[in-house]
Amino acid sequence: MAVTGLSTTAESIGLRKKLRSPIRWLNKYKLEIAMVTPFTVYVLFFMLVPVVQSIYYSFVHKGTHTFTFDNYQTIIDRSTFSDAFKNTLGITAFGVTMEMVFGMIIALMLARAFRGRGLFRSIVLLPLGVPTLVAGAAMLYFVGFNGYLNEVLLDLGLIDVPVYWQQSGVRGMFVIALADLWKATPLVVLILLAGLESIPGDVYEAAGIDGATGWQSFWHHTIPLLMPSITMALILRAIDAFRIFDIAMVLAGQSIQVMSSFVYFDYRAGNTNTAAAAAVILLLMILVFVIAYIFLVERRNEVD
Amino acid sequence: MSAETAPQAASTYVEPKKPFDWADLFFWIGAIIISLILLLPLYVLFKVSVSTLAEATAPRPSYLIENITWDNWEKMLTWDRVGPYLQHSLIVACSTAALAVILAAPAAYVISRLPRGTRYLVVLSILFTRMFPEVIIATPIATTFFSWGLNDTNIGLTMAHLIRTLPLAAWILVGSFQGIPTDLEEASAVDGASKMKTLIRVVLPLGAPGIAVAAIFAWLDSWNDLLYAIYIFLTERTLPLQIYYYSNRGNVTDVATYSMIMTIPVVIITLFFQRWIRSGYLSGAVKG
Repeated sequence: MAVTGLSTTAESIGLRKKLRSPIRWLNKYKLEIAMVTPFTVYVLFFMLVPVVQSIYYSFVHKGTHTFTFDNYQTIIDRSTFSDAFKNTLGITAFGVTMEMVFGMIIALMLARAFRGRGLFRSIVLLPLGVPTLVAGAAMLYFVGFNGYLNEVLLDLGLIDVPVYWQQSGVRGMFVIALADLWKATPLVVLILLAGLESIPGDVYEAAGIDGATGWQSFWHHTIPLLMPSITMALILRAIDAFRIFDIAMVLAGQSIQVMSSFVYFDYRAGNTNTAAAAAVILLLMILVFVIAYIFLVERRNEVD
Repeated sequence: MSAETAPQAASTYVEPKKPFDWADLFFWIGAIIISLILLLPLYVLFKVSVSTLAEATAPRPSYLIENITWDNWEKMLTWDRVGPYLQHSLIVACSTAALAVILAAPAAYVISRLPRGTRYLVVLSILFTRMFPEVIIATPIATTFFSWGLNDTNIGLTMAHLIRTLPLAAWILVGSFQGIPTDLEEASAVDGASKMKTLIRVVLPLGAPGIAVAAIFAWLDSWNDLLYAIYIFLTERTLPLQIYYYSNRGNVTDVATYSMIMTIPVVIITLFFQRWIRSGYLSGAVKG
C-alpha cells in the first residue's frame, strides 16, 4: 500500500524501490499513519467489536456462556418476534413501493423547467430536513383515533365510525409506512432526479422524431436509462426501512414492534442474549441487500 | 422538454410565445397538491402546538386554526420544561460534530490520497458500516458504557454518536479532499514546506468547505438521534427522548411543541445548506 500525495510523484516513483523495508516505509509515512490511527481504532473498537460481541451473545447461554442455538429458538417461538418480523417486511414492502411511485412522479415533475421550480424543489426536500422522530410525532395527529385521517374519511363519507389505526397488523404497518413515506420520498426524488438529469436530451428528441408519445418515450427510454438510479434508490431505501426505529417507537411504542424496537425492548427486559439473536437476524436481512448493492450498483460504478 | 437542454441556434433566439397548454395547468395543479400534502404534517404540528389540550384531543378536529393560544409555548419558557433537555442535546451535538471532524478529517485526507483501487475499497467499507443495523451495535455498547459509568453522561452519548457520525464525516470528507488537486501540495513541497506545514497552510484552507459540511451533517445526525440516547440515557433526557416519552404518555400538545422546538433549527440549517445536500452525499455515489 503506497500513500502518494504529500510526497511528490517523482519522488515516489524514484524512491519506491529503495523503500521496500517496512521500517523505512513506516518512517516515511509516520505522519499519515498517525493521521489514520485514531479514526481506525475508534471505528474498530466501538463499531466492529460490538457487532462481534452481539454475534457472540446470540450463540451462548445467558448464564453459562456455553454454545447454543436456544436464543434463536426462543425468539422464533415468540409471537412478538414474528409480529415484529412481519411488520418490518410489510412496512418495507409497502413503504418502499409507494416511495418509488411518488418519488418517480415528483422527480419527473422536477426534471421539467417551469416557473416556481425552485420553490417546489425546496418544499419537496423539506421533509429530508425534519428529524425522523418528528415525522413520526407529526403522524400521531393524523392516525390517532381523533386524528385527521379519520376526519377526512368521515367527511368524505367513506367510513361511519372512526377507525382505530394504531393497532398491530396491516393497519399498524400502514401507519408506520405512511410516516416513512413522508420522510423518505425526498431522498428517492434526489436519487431519481440525478439519474433523470444525466439522460441526454437527444434521446427524447430522437424519440419525438420517431413519433413516440410521451408515455411510450417514458416506458421505452426513460425507465431503462433510469434503471441504475431506480436500483440504487430501491436497495438503499429497503436497507433503511429494515432498520426503522424512531418512527415506530413514537407512533406505536411497544404495541406495534419492528425488528429494531423488538431488540431494544427485549434488551430492556433483561434478555441480552435473545435481543442479540434478533439483532443478528436483522443484520442478515440487511446483508442480503448490501450484497445486492455491491453487485448491482457498485460493480457498475467501478466499470465506469 | 426543458428549455435548458434545447439547443439554441443563436444567442438572439427568442422562444416563441407558447399557446395555453392544458398539460401545463394539470402540471401546476399537481405541483400545488403535492406541495400542500408535504407541508400538511408541519402545519398540523404547528396547529396543535397553539391549541389547548382539550381542543387538540377533541373528536372531529378542525382543519383550520381557529383560536390561537400560546400557552404551550409560554410553558416552554420556564427553564425546567426545556432547559435540561436542550442543554444535553446541544452539548452532545456540538461535541459530536467537533470530534467527528477532528478524528475523521486527517484519516479522510490520507484515504483520499490512496491509490484508486485501495481508496475505492476503503470508502466502500466505510459506506457499509453506515448500513449496519444500529441496534446490533447499541446493545453491547450500552452494556459496556454502563460498566464504565458513562450512562446518563454527555461524554457517553457523544462517544456513542461518534460511532455513527465518524463514518459519515469521513465519507463526506474523502470526497471533498479528492477535489483538492495534488499539484498544489507538490508545489508546496518543492518550495520546501514540511508535510505538516503543507497540510495546515494548503490543504486545510482548501478543505474548509467540505469540513463545514461534514460538521453540519454530524451535528444534525446527533441532534436527531433517538436510538443511542434511549440506550445510554436512563434517567437524563435529550430533546428526542422527551418527545418519545411524552408521545407514549399521550401528551399531544407538549409533543407538538417539543417537536417544533427540535425542528426549527434543523429546517433553518437544511434550507440554508440545501445546495450542498446533493444525492451524492446521501445516497452513496462512491466513485473510485
